[in-house]
Amino acid sequence: MIELRQVSKTVESGGRPLTILHPLDLVIPDGQFLAIVGPSGSGKSTLLGLLAGLDAPSSGQILVGGTDITTLDEDGLARLRGSSIGFVFQFFHLVPSLTALENILVPMEIAGRPDAAVRGSRLLDEVGLADRGHHYPSQLSGGEQQRIAIARALANEPSLVLADEPTGNLDSQTGRYILDLLLSVHRARGTTLVLVTHDAELAALADARLVLRDGRVVADG
Amino acid sequence: MRAWSFAMGGWWLMASAFVIRMTVREVRSSWRRLLFFFICIAIGVASIVTLRSVIQSVRGALAHQAREMLGADLLLSSGNPFPPALRTAADVARRDQDVTRVSEAVELITMARPDDPARTVTRLVELRAVDATFPIRGAIRLGEGTYRHALLEQHGALVRPEVLAQLGLSVGDSLRIGDASFTIRGVVTAEPNRNLGNFSVGPRVFIDRADLPATGLLSVGSRATFQLLFEVPDQALDPLAARWREAFAEQFVSVRSYRRSEDQMGENFDRAENYLSLVGLVVLILGGIGVSSVTRVFVQQKVRSIAILKCLGASGGQVLTIYLTQVFTLALAGCLLGVALAAGVIAAVPLFLGAVPLTVPVVYALTLSAVFQGVLIGLLVSMVFAVVPLLDVRAVKPALLLRQDTGVAETGRGVRLMAIGVSAVVMVSIAIWQAGSLQVGLGLVVGMSGVGLVLHGAGLVLVRALRPLRHTGNFALRQAVIHLVRPGSQAGVILLAVGLGTFFILGIRAIQTNLLQDFSVQAGPESPDMFLLDVQADQREAVSTFIAQRNDGAGAPVLVPVLRARVGAVRGKAVNLENVQDVRGRGSLAREYTVTYRAALEANETVIAGQWWAGPAAPGAEAEVSVEESLRDRYQIQPGDVIRFDVLGRPLTARVTSVRHVDWKDFRSGGFMFVFRPGAFDGAPHTFMSTAKGPSDLAARSELVAGLVDRFPNVSVIDLRETMQTIQGMVRNVTFGISVVGGLVLFSGTLILVGAVSMTKFRRVYEAAILKTLGATTRLVATSLLLEYGLLGAIAGTVGALGALALSWWLSVYILDMPWLPNPALSMAGIGVTAVAASMVGVLASLDVLRGKPLSTLRAE
Repeated sequence: MIELRQVSKTVESGGRPLTILHPLDLVIPDGQFLAIVGPSGSGKSTLLGLLAGLDAPSSGQILVGGTDITTLDEDGLARLRGSSIGFVFQFFHLVPSLTALENILVPMEIAGRPDAAVRGSRLLDEVGLADRGHHYPSQLSGGEQQRIAIARALANEPSLVLADEPTGNLDSQTGRYILDLLLSVHRARGTTLVLVTHDAELAALADARLVLRDGRVVADG
Repeated sequence: MRAWSFAMGGWWLMASAFVIRMTVREVRSSWRRLLFFFICIAIGVASIVTLRSVIQSVRGALAHQAREMLGADLLLSSGNPFPPALRTAADVARRDQDVTRVSEAVELITMARPDDPARTVTRLVELRAVDATFPIRGAIRLGEGTYRHALLEQHGALVRPEVLAQLGLSVGDSLRIGDASFTIRGVVTAEPNRNLGNFSVGPRVFIDRADLPATGLLSVGSRATFQLLFEVPDQALDPLAARWREAFAEQFVSVRSYRRSEDQMGENFDRAENYLSLVGLVVLILGGIGVSSVTRVFVQQKVRSIAILKCLGASGGQVLTIYLTQVFTLALAGCLLGVALAAGVIAAVPLFLGAVPLTVPVVYALTLSAVFQGVLIGLLVSMVFAVVPLLDVRAVKPALLLRQDTGVAETGRGVRLMAIGVSAVVMVSIAIWQAGSLQVGLGLVVGMSGVGLVLHGAGLVLVRALRPLRHTGNFALRQAVIHLVRPGSQAGVILLAVGLGTFFILGIRAIQTNLLQDFSVQAGPESPDMFLLDVQADQREAVSTFIAQRNDGAGAPVLVPVLRARVGAVRGKAVNLENVQDVRGRGSLAREYTVTYRAALEANETVIAGQWWAGPAAPGAEAEVSVEESLRDRYQIQPGDVIRFDVLGRPLTARVTSVRHVDWKDFRSGGFMFVFRPGAFDGAPHTFMSTAKGPSDLAARSELVAGLVDRFPNVSVIDLRETMQTIQGMVRNVTFGISVVGGLVLFSGTLILVGAVSMTKFRRVYEAAILKTLGATTRLVATSLLLEYGLLGAIAGTVGALGALALSWWLSVYILDMPWLPNPALSMAGIGVTAVAASMVGVLASLDVLRGKPLSTLRAE
């Protein structure tokens, strides 16, 4: 279970404080598919980044599996992400100097999993790119890069998958395929899925929705 | 607990496996971009390994040859015939079995010429008259056949090939030395007691000692060295050497054992090796500057990958370790490449050194210790220069993957300062270790940092001065200036590297021009250009007339009386009469001096303390002497002190009455450390020397010399024209050597320039694509690049040229003590060449920027 208590984020902008996320309480039960929706600049990605420990909140507590991650240092957060959180970005963010397969292997190698190689091939197969493992990101299409990114996010069988507009940079057909892939994993493995989107149709598929505007929750449930 | 620690150990192993795998992948993808990194390191390492290996090879070959090089186990030498007491001591030693074999030899410098009076060539040679037991150790090697003393008997001579070449003689011809004729019976290729690098005034000629008196060269005052060579059983060597050193110190007999020369040689080699390899260290430090700039840009380009790794669970430490390992791997590759380069250069060394005659054959090869030092220093310098920019890896926040505005955070000031501090300590330690001296090592680091800082600061000031040009109407120029002055530009590093290279090369050229100009100023057409030595008192008139009749009316030469004297003791106001041991302990005061006497000061002398005498001394009066100021400064000899001299074995006590300043550069007027008041040497046998102006026509000149030697066989003639040419040749050689260093530095500078250009290419390709999309032609982009690097080169050149002027001024005025002759043409040329070279290199290294198609570039971004 994930629990947010009065979490907010304020940054400096032009020498003045700018609150991009106002104090927020949120509970995400295990296995839930939560869609975070809202227009550009509403604080969606910021919230997702805070959940992943990619950024620190200005106030409040974030409990992931009972641990308050705001008390962890950078390396502690890195370990937590490595073991329990998978992240899918809008811009894929594959390491350009690594092949597709190597990109998938990285989190397992960091965690020191002995079955990394076997599992890496299986994941490649699962996302339908078994024959593209030795290609570099620059040699793959956007959709293929995103499938590799999903395989990478699932590598360590995380209990929580966070996806930041994963289809935002893809054409609608590829986007649909990526979404199906994420949902099938969520259903098959019972992972908690938090997905940022501004696609209302997609949000309708979720177990729960959180609507943000100007850093405030305007609707949930 | 055990299970836990086992699990931790396992995790650590796995984690380090990850680090290693990632390092391999990173090296695979980035090695091309970091190519300059390891070439920079390779050149520095190659310099260190080559220099150390060559010197160690020579040392290895010579180290066990000390006996052969001395020609004996124990060598006694003296400027005067050996005192009878010494001969007695030698006989006693022989009887006691302390000495098993003895050989006696005499060395002197004299003129040699063909026996045929029609041939007018002459040559100054180093004559060595030896007996049948010579050499005690080592061997004389001949071009053909083997050496035996019988070859010298009955007026035979063995000569170096140069004698044959210069006098136009061949084996079997006759050679005239002094009053005697000798038949050349062979060519000497190697001989004992001829050290590598020893200064020699002429090639060697061997004759039989029994024939020496016939030459008439052993007259009083001739510059002969008498030698006794001993074979001594090992256990007796040290005690015997110590005993004789003590017993004959007052007689100025030098006692050298091969063991002592072995130690001395070892020290000399150590010093030569350490100092020369500092050149390599300088090149390596420049490489390190390149490494630092390449690493900084590399980290900037890797920020996103680093953020991704952190997002996937890698700790800051792990990521830092990945990049440190990568730097280490590349540095190791650079070091190995450097060792390979060194091996290639060393293999080529015999081709260059083929002409240098050595007593022993040297096998040039990489030595283990040189390779070890080169590789270790290469690795340390790489790490030291890479670690500070790499620290920024730790500060990269994974959140930048979500928001573009999260720039590269820099490591905390404390950590950075600590890293810089540790790096500085490591660098200073390396320099001290390499120089083998705390002072030299510290001096090197402080000097280089100082010069670097000044160049860097001056460069940045000049770049800042360009700022107003940002608003110029010319688009290409505006773009060029904007690139130079924007934050994070590579201008600083390029200025430092290229500026240092220009500084070295121009500085050395400036000093060379200064030295050579100073020489030619002093050696004007009217100046004397010949030295005459060993003119006997009764030959004065004849020699003077002989020259005056044949030197195109330049006038009769002035003959100066000379004697050889040694300082036996000094008695000052504050000190008691000190014996020769104490005098020796103070430095070289006890060496032999050539002294003279005269009534008046020379043109290049001024009295700075005491009073010059008026006319000759009254008979029976106390002898008076004037000392040169450096003697006063070094040995605290003041007017009023009394010095005891040993002149040809006779004691003479003289009171110091004045101290002179001598302008030594004006060597034609001669220079004497001790000048006596006339009267002191009345009755003592002495010779005369002279500076004379010879005819300018070469044929007339050699006729004059040949005629002189023919009529006065004991007189030696040194042609200053030859000496001047030799000195100029030496200056050129030294300049060449330093220019090679400067060239290496400049080459490193160019590499750093190329490296800096190619590292920032990614940004430039993108910018060029945008400009092209907006309508800029390739030509316009190229012009902008040309201007940018041209400006940078001009600034670097200006800074280097100003530095070089300052260096040459400082060296001229404070070290070489000669007038400073700045050469503006050289400075201007240096600036021009640097600007053109930098713009060419800059544009060539940016060819992809010019050639890239805008769409593909923009898509890739």
